Amino acid sequence: MRIRMALAGNPNSGKTTLFNALTGSNQFVGNWPGVTVEKKTGKIKSSIKKGKDVEAELTDLPGIYSLSPYTLEEVVARNFILDEKPDVIINIIDGSNLERNLYLTTQLTELGLPVVVAVNMMDVVRKNGDTLDTAKLSEELGCRCIEISALKGDGIEDVVEAAIEEGSAGNPAVPKHEFSGSVEHTIAHIEEAVLHDFPEASQRFYAVKLFEKDEDIRKKLNVDEATWNHISGDIAACEKEMDDDAESIITNERYIFVAGVAGACLTKKGKGQLTTTDKIDRVVTNRWLALPIFAVIMFLVYYISVTTIGTIVTDWTNDVLFGDIIPPAVDGWLTDIGCVEWLHSLIVDGIIAGVGAVLGFVPQMLVLFLMLAFLESCGYMARVAFIMDRIFRRFGLSGKSFIPMLIGSGCGVPGVMASRTIESERDRRMTVMTTTFVPCGAKLPIIALIAGALFHGAWWVAPSCYFVGVAAIVISGIILKKTKMFSGDPAPFVMELPAYHLPTLGNVLRSMWERGWSFIKKAGTIILLSTIFIWFVSNYGFVDGHFGRVEDLSDGLLASIGSAIAWIFIPLGFGTWKAAVAAITGLVAKENVVGTFGILYGFAEVAEDGQEIWTNVAADFATSGAYAFLVFNLLCAPCFAAIGAIKREMNSAKWTWFAIGYQTIFAYCISLIVYQLWELFAFGNFGVGTVVAFILLAVFIYLLFRKPKYDNSRLTIAPEV
Amino acid sequence: MMPLVFADKGAAVKIKRINGAPDIRRHLGNLGFVEDGDVTVVSENNGNLIVNVKETRVAISREMATRIVVE
Repeated sequence: MRIRMALAGNPNSGKTTLFNALTGSNQFVGNWPGVTVEKKTGKIKSSIKKGKDVEAELTDLPGIYSLSPYTLEEVVARNFILDEKPDVIINIIDGSNLERNLYLTTQLTELGLPVVVAVNMMDVVRKNGDTLDTAKLSEELGCRCIEISALKGDGIEDVVEAAIEEGSAGNPAVPKHEFSGSVEHTIAHIEEAVLHDFPEASQRFYAVKLFEKDEDIRKKLNVDEATWNHISGDIAACEKEMDDDAESIITNERYIFVAGVAGACLTKKGKGQLTTTDKIDRVVTNRWLALPIFAVIMFLVYYISVTTIGTIVTDWTNDVLFGDIIPPAVDGWLTDIGCVEWLHSLIVDGIIAGVGAVLGFVPQMLVLFLMLAFLESCGYMARVAFIMDRIFRRFGLSGKSFIPMLIGSGCGVPGVMASRTIESERDRRMTVMTTTFVPCGAKLPIIALIAGALFHGAWWVAPSCYFVGVAAIVISGIILKKTKMFSGDPAPFVMELPAYHLPTLGNVLRSMWERGWSFIKKAGTIILLSTIFIWFVSNYGFVDGHFGRVEDLSDGLLASIGSAIAWIFIPLGFGTWKAAVAAITGLVAKENVVGTFGILYGFAEVAEDGQEIWTNVAADFATSGAYAFLVFNLLCAPCFAAIGAIKREMNSAKWTWFAIGYQTIFAYCISLIVYQLWELFAFGNFGVGTVVAFILLAVFIYLLFRKPKYDNSRLTIAPEV
Repeated sequence: MMPLVFADKGAAVKIKRINGAPDIRRHLGNLGFVEDGDVTVVSENNGNLIVNVKETRVAISREMATRIVVE
């Protein structure tokens, strides 16, 4: 026998923690609403089924506050429950916040499906000295309630046992709450007029939704015009009698019922004193301190991961491990066994040089991922969205756009996906377009390489890149907001703030390792293939009409291709074929930029004449051109994986092309301005390029300061689905 | 009667009315902002508020806070 279970609950109520505990999977648990944006399915571990011989499958749904879809996540969750009709719903509720969580429970019990309520965070409830009468709660709600602590694993076997029992028996929950007389009367009327063919248990949910005039449900049920007009009359009469609109009536009455249940079942010890979370919030969201505190935290995160700890280890891997140890050892070994020359070159000059150049940055990235995971799981992330909201609003974005960008500083793919918590489609599209401007972990090596090779590791280079990224977002926000397709105020900001807690070490390390591992895996697969390809096309070419190995890389195929496109980048100060090729290979994965440099500026030469890659790079670039190269690579179209994520979130080829096109043109213009002005002010070089730079600058200033043509006062929030 | 933005920090006030488009009111309702319910302002940042409603902390922007009329 197979039982399909769905895990539903408020955002941040511990769904993912419970899901991991029950299925033994490793989903990252963050402490901000909206960590789970897609449903995930797993099998219940046999060790917690108490020997029951059933196959149980659990689907973790995104967090929802109610079954009236407001954000895309709510749409995902609601459609799953309505269309897939799981055998049983496990409704996880936060026991330390009973009222709000039970609001959803009252809706779930109306669905006509078996429901088991798992009261989570009972350890917190007990620690506060409060007591909960679970037996009474079960009675009041009309479904089984079980105390658990998902974090500690207490009571989770009981939940599974109850869910299997209820699911296999198919006992639908029996909603105990009743609305006031006239509402019940109208609902009964709707059931009779529209839903008489439905199984009795699920009639109530649809009737209440129709009463609330839920458009999606009306479409789903195919209610014809005549019937609709008929019941609309009843609803209007009821609204008039209650002097309120239908939705508010239902919401209010649910809350009245829930408040009664909570009052009857929960005995509170103390009330009114400030919690630790309140005290922390007083400081970190304070009007004056909020921004300085945030700036210091972010500075520390990047300073520690790029400049201090990370660099010490990265320098060692780059200079010693992939400099003095591995290449000579492999070199010697290959010579000893008499390996054919071309394979020798492929391994040493191609694979070790390319993949090694990328792997050298793993330590830096692990430090960055570790700190981001800590920020995500302690609860500060949601506050940042709140703090940034007022500022972002000026650039036409809401504070919620900041979370995707912060996550994007680890990797753009989850960053783009995190934009799904944003309600308004307009804000979401703009966030998706601008999120990848933030330097992601894979761009870190490019920054480190240029900073090391051209700027002697100057402290300001890495932070300036983040500044360039943020500035690009701000400028794009203002410019795009003044176009027709993005006009309109950003959606008003409403977001639940979770309580702070110290993240568990396992959770933070797991997240760090998962992200770091996917980076290492990438180095072993896609980067490895790319380096082999780059080695081949750079080492082979036509010399004197014959195809074969070339002595000088500048005779290779890659050099010819690179030279053919290098002219595009001359105005940007890096019109060499090597830089052009690196920028293009960066599309596959940004690490490739460094990998390509590793091959083209050769680690092999380290063994031969003791020169380092940095010196070679430095010889090929001017400081101005190098910084422009950096800016271009930071802002241009992201890697294929991120483009894929953009395509998924935009759900339209037109918008995807628009996003990538915009990013690349924007990157080109900014990079050109940076190079030309740098040349002018630092070296006094003036030319056609300088004129173009000033024209572009003027265009940007015009776009930034022109009067908005379109109405920006519309206030809408519903997702356009 | 005044919008929530003007309420004193730390004191519980009663929600009398919620103005605005139906989807805004629906979302506020789902989060626990209902007529006759209590709400307490915890912190304020340039007009954006952190409030306590139904035992949870919710951050709302000034645009939303002006739509909630309290007493």
